[in-house]
Amino acid sequence: MFTRLNNAKLAITVEAFTTNYTNLQVYRWGKKPRWLPTAKTKMFRVAPRPQIPTEDYEELKRLHNNYRTQIKSLTGYFTEKYSTENIQQFDIEQHEKSIKDDFLKCTAINDEWNRQIKIQREERVAKELEESVNLAKQRLEERQQRQLLKLQAADVEVRRVIEDSKDFITPDKLDAAIEYALNNPVDYNFALDLDGNVYKGRNNDSVKFEIKQ
Amino acid sequence: MPIKYIGKSIDFKGKTLWEILGNLKNFGVGRLVARNMFERYPEPSYIKIMKVETVPNPETNTPDDVRKVRVWVEKTFRGRKSPELVEMFANTYKADYKLIPKCEEEDYCRCDNPKVEYKVLPRTTSFPPLLRELIVREMKEKGEVVEEPQLTIVYNKNEDSRYRAAEGDEVPTVAFQESFGKAVTSTL
Repeated sequence: MFTRLNNAKLAITVEAFTTNYTNLQVYRWGKKPRWLPTAKTKMFRVAPRPQIPTEDYEELKRLHNNYRTQIKSLTGYFTEKYSTENIQQFDIEQHEKSIKDDFLKCTAINDEWNRQIKIQREERVAKELEESVNLAKQRLEERQQRQLLKLQAADVEVRRVIEDSKDFITPDKLDAAIEYALNNPVDYNFALDLDGNVYKGRNNDSVKFEIKQ
Repeated sequence: MPIKYIGKSIDFKGKTLWEILGNLKNFGVGRLVARNMFERYPEPSYIKIMKVETVPNPETNTPDDVRKVRVWVEKTFRGRKSPELVEMFANTYKADYKLIPKCEEEDYCRCDNPKVEYKVLPRTTSFPPLLRELIVREMKEKGEVVEEPQLTIVYNKNEDSRYRAAEGDEVPTVAFQESFGKAVTSTL
């Protein structure tokens, strides 16, 4: 319920625990924000020394001395009491034994973990091995398949070339081919008219072709 | 322009030890020096300079950083002379020392009432009520014989203290003030 704004502190009365914020009272620390240095006008101001009456001084001194002695004595009492108790409670053998026991306990837990992890690891390694073997087999199969297809394609190609080679002009057939060529001259010249008719031959006399639109 | 000092007034009155010793022949060995602060006691307090070791001047000699001096003295505090030489260094910066002129030494050192009264203070006192109840209960639980628990009083002690705790069956001369005690004056 307490909120602090810049240098203002919100003080809350009992009524303020209802949500009525009109009960909030704001008060400031002083005239000056606390983080600012001493004002120029106050820089050389020297506060007067407190004038304490002798009787008051003596009485306050007595009370202070008395209080300090009592508190010091009580502190000493508690220190002695609890430090001696602690010393009695501390047994070096027990301490070492507890350390040893703790170490054994930790080792047992660690061994258990190692055992579990070993089983997991073996399972995982076996699985990975099987997977890689399968993969290798699959790849081998695929490669054989590709090789087979390649061989088949090559076979087809060879057969086609052999088929074609029947028409090749060999030295034996050379004379016949020349004869044939001489007897069947081919004229590739042609002409077009405005209607798109094609007239084959250089002399433009014979065949007329219709061009399909 | 006159120097105008700004700040709180102090109770010290006098010079630092080096300001006195540095101006004396042979660094003032054999001379008497007194603290103004200790003149509040009825018995005389003073020191007799026996050996002086100088230390370097600080780089900046400001009121916060004045020159100290290491001296070995015969210390007399409240009319009681210390059996061994006392080394002084840390408190030599205090501007509270004054030199006793040679002609006044005898008067200054005269101690009319040299008898030292030791207060014998009680060794133990009772516990605060609530704590006492707790301790008694603890004792009962442990099955010990229940007797009034006594708190051992811890007193500050130094070589100058004029009181001591009672030893053995000694009867204390001053009673310990339990709780708030009794006021010093009747007006309060």
